[in-house]
Amino acid sequence: MAEFPKARDFFESSRAAVGDHELRRKLESASARHLDHFAQVKAEFPPYDDERDAAHRIKTDAIAHLDELLIELTTKLEARGCKVFFAEDASQARDYIVELAKARGAKNVVKGKSMTTEEIDLNDALARAGIDAVETDLGEYIVQLRGERPSHIITPAIHLSKEDIGQLFSDKFGIAYTAEPEKLTAEARSRLRAIFLAADFGVTGVNFAIAETGTLIIVENEGNGRLSSTMPETFVAVMGIEKVIPRLQDLSHFLEILARTATGQKLTTYTSFITGPRREGELDGPGEMHVVILDNGRSSMLADPVLREALNCIRCGACLNVCPVYRRLGGHAYRSVYPGPIGSIVSPNLFGGAAGYLPFASTLCGACKDICPVKIDIPRILLHLRWKESTGEHPLKWPRAIERARRGARRFAQAARYPRTIRALGMLAAMVLKPFAHNGYLRRMPGPFGNWTKYRDFPRPRPHKRPPS
Amino acid sequence: MAELHKIIATVKDALGAGAGSNSHAAAASAVVPVAQSALRAEIASTFARELEEVDGKFLGMLTPAEVTNRIVALAGEIGAQTVALGQGIVSDMDAIGEALERADFRIVRTVPVADTERAAMHARVADAGLGIAEADFAIASTGTLAVVSSAQRPSSLTLLPPASLVIVQIDRVMANLAAVLAELGPGGVAANRLTLITGPSRTADIEKRIVLGVHGPKSLHVIVVWP
Repeated sequence: MAEFPKARDFFESSRAAVGDHELRRKLESASARHLDHFAQVKAEFPPYDDERDAAHRIKTDAIAHLDELLIELTTKLEARGCKVFFAEDASQARDYIVELAKARGAKNVVKGKSMTTEEIDLNDALARAGIDAVETDLGEYIVQLRGERPSHIITPAIHLSKEDIGQLFSDKFGIAYTAEPEKLTAEARSRLRAIFLAADFGVTGVNFAIAETGTLIIVENEGNGRLSSTMPETFVAVMGIEKVIPRLQDLSHFLEILARTATGQKLTTYTSFITGPRREGELDGPGEMHVVILDNGRSSMLADPVLREALNCIRCGACLNVCPVYRRLGGHAYRSVYPGPIGSIVSPNLFGGAAGYLPFASTLCGACKDICPVKIDIPRILLHLRWKESTGEHPLKWPRAIERARRGARRFAQAARYPRTIRALGMLAAMVLKPFAHNGYLRRMPGPFGNWTKYRDFPRPRPHKRPPS
Repeated sequence: MAELHKIIATVKDALGAGAGSNSHAAAASAVVPVAQSALRAEIASTFARELEEVDGKFLGMLTPAEVTNRIVALAGEIGAQTVALGQGIVSDMDAIGEALERADFRIVRTVPVADTERAAMHARVADAGLGIAEADFAIASTGTLAVVSSAQRPSSLTLLPPASLVIVQIDRVMANLAAVLAELGPGGVAANRLTLITGPSRTADIEKRIVLGVHGPKSLHVIVVWP
């Protein structure tokens, strides 16, 4: 992501999204369907919570020993014939991959679904070098055809109806309009299959990297990850530094929970274990394999003891589906490739700038923490980021109305240090406001307070009574 | 403690070289053959149920002789003209290939290829109507097949053709994923590409509706071999 959008863009896009009732219907129906599936598979799998604990423990431990694990992983990858490149930031990762594609004369670049390559804006960089990269995950393919970004980390086209997609295919391919998912999928399959058979350069993300064996794990349902890592002669896997886990035996704990929370499946359709390029005489796999290991702000999260926990994230997307803010806004309003609760933590640290507003786009209701398969305390980290923002050297510039509310809150916080003042103010308010109340509630208030009563009633302040001692 | 080790070493020697968990299992099965096979049948039927749950098709627990006939029948049922297959692990794929040829199906045999022949071989496998492979293991709790790829048994066989048939030996059906990973071990996993397959290729990217066969096979058929 070259430059993060301005704060104004973020406020405008969230306002627009809140007003989009059609978007809200799509998000609600998709989220409800997801939560139904999840409840079902969870009920059928009694060890679910034990697996969560195990996953949390393993990941926390792995993050605490990240330096050693990365060395071990690199050694193993290289021993298996992979070329390993450490990228400090997005531009280093982009440049490495673009230069490699140019050097190999890549003509048909295929991409499996990967959030990390979205993070580094790889497609645009390849396009600038005159190389077209085709997204092959169906949802990613659809949003790429629309010239958009994914709006959900698991379901990229969650913001589109089947009619939208039918219209898109009809416009782009000149085929007869249909809104049947089966027919639309078949159309995409035949187009993408031809591209796969001619592909010479493949790029995917990585779900887990096993240090002990140098094995990369790619989890998916469609086969785009398998094809992207099987057919092309040159294959590049892009992973964040936090994807490494110590041993093979750790893996089952993550696989047992990832699909259940991400999609409501027991296991995803395909889990590929890739250890190095193909061996002599083999038909499948790349002749040349590169692994790009990306920092891009992750080590700064590692350095903060509270933020560090967010590196446990396995990108299941469940926190998006339960988040009341995400369910109103959808992914695009966040203006980040990582939307939703976890996105609000990760984005400010990866992209900086205006993404600093995102930790405030939360009600702190805690639903994300409850569903998180690796038990990340998301609300606590959001509060920590808010605190960091408001005490930092470069506080954000808020729109005037919000700035006023924040000033008000700060004054209240000051006054609250003096119980007598609070009690006196309460008594005063109780007296003044009593005549305006109906059934204990204020329905309308004057001036700036009207912003509150426009949306909900305000309980009438009552004189303070000392609690019985 | 020293005594304990000494005794164990003596016992081990007495049992003879290679005394390990395998011969222990063999001893157990010799004593209670009925219980052992009942347990296997139960694990296999859990596997069958879970496979059907993810839209796979369970073709039954068959003897090796029945397997060949069932495969020829399946190729006819799905209207495949060409069938792609590699080598088996325990199963005799050559015999299966010959039976298919006798029944007038064209056969694509995946043999080790030079780098320059890859694209042509991929195209041939992709054109086949059915791909046949033998799985190294199956996982009962999730209806999953674990297939290790090699020069003789490329992973394309379960990826490129529109229909996929996988056979697995009954004693290779394990209870859960952890058991399979333990059985393969770090060495087994790192030696070659391993793919876990749980049902046919699927997507839910359009309004979260399940559609099968987006990139990989649209149908997945499984036979458990019971010698």
